[in-house]
Amino acid sequence: MCVVYRSMARPGFHASRSQFGVLYRHAVPMGTTAKEEMNKFWDKNNRLNRPMSPHITIYRWSIPMVMSITFRGTGVGLSGGISLFAVAAMVLPGNYPQYLDLIHSLSFGPQFLAFTKFALAFPVSYHTLNGIRHLMWDVGKGFQIPDVYRSGYVVMALSVLTSIGLACL
Amino acid sequence: MAALVRLGSVCHRGVNPLRSVLHARLLVGQQRDAERPYLLTTKIHTSTPSYSGSGSKAASLHWTGERLVSIILLGLGPLAYFCPGPLVDYPLAATLALHGHWGIGQVLTDYVHGDSKIKMANTSLFILSTVTFAGLCYFNYNDVGICKAVALLWNK
Repeated sequence: MCVVYRSMARPGFHASRSQFGVLYRHAVPMGTTAKEEMNKFWDKNNRLNRPMSPHITIYRWSIPMVMSITFRGTGVGLSGGISLFAVAAMVLPGNYPQYLDLIHSLSFGPQFLAFTKFALAFPVSYHTLNGIRHLMWDVGKGFQIPDVYRSGYVVMALSVLTSIGLACL
Repeated sequence: MAALVRLGSVCHRGVNPLRSVLHARLLVGQQRDAERPYLLTTKIHTSTPSYSGSGSKAASLHWTGERLVSIILLGLGPLAYFCPGPLVDYPLAATLALHGHWGIGQVLTDYVHGDSKIKMANTSLFILSTVTFAGLCYFNYNDVGICKAVALLWNK
């Protein structure tokens, strides 16, 4: 990014922002695309063998951060699970009720079954509820930091409650 | 007295822009006593067709599509509970596969860099998503279907 400074010689001129504020009225478009710029960044840094700055190893974890990566984790996990199920459906012999009977015959305790149901329901409910939180952000609501934390707590609480409720069904 | 400090020439030589900013701040600091406000201009990316000529709305439409599919999936949840059957099974298969495909696509965009690696990752994802959709449809057709499968699993 190239920055050009210019001082106003006329006395009595007041910038509407602070002395170092940027007035985007004078924005000039670049000749390269964002993608090209990103590739240039990675090419240069890989070529110079630059180490990555420590980030997750040193940065203090915050609730929004943890919730965000959990959202991604549950998404990837659920997607992987669905893909696994789809492949299994095509590859494995027999049909679904047969495999259910197989699990039946293994006679797990009721607590284990309830726990398994909770373990299956939690990623779905957390991902769904946090997804709704994301959609709220997408329509522009809830960006103030206290609201971010508040909605985060609501999502976490509701996820646990919903999962317990589903596990008891 | 107008002082024009152009760092553009410095930038063209590939100087670390951060250093330029610091350098500039130093300059500004020196002239702080004069208490002159400064106009800053900066180069930014714009997508206005008048400049770049390639004002494609593809990324924007993709974003909107992602949100639409998410909302449809939200609606299909209760629908699957109250009206299970093939009329919900197949849309559920399609929406799940597409939502997952685009979601993993965003993960790859975030973490995979380099043109050939990006291409390989996206091709693999496309194959995986196709297989996923095929498998879910196969399950819907030849087996009990998604809604019934969840119901059976939960009632065991």
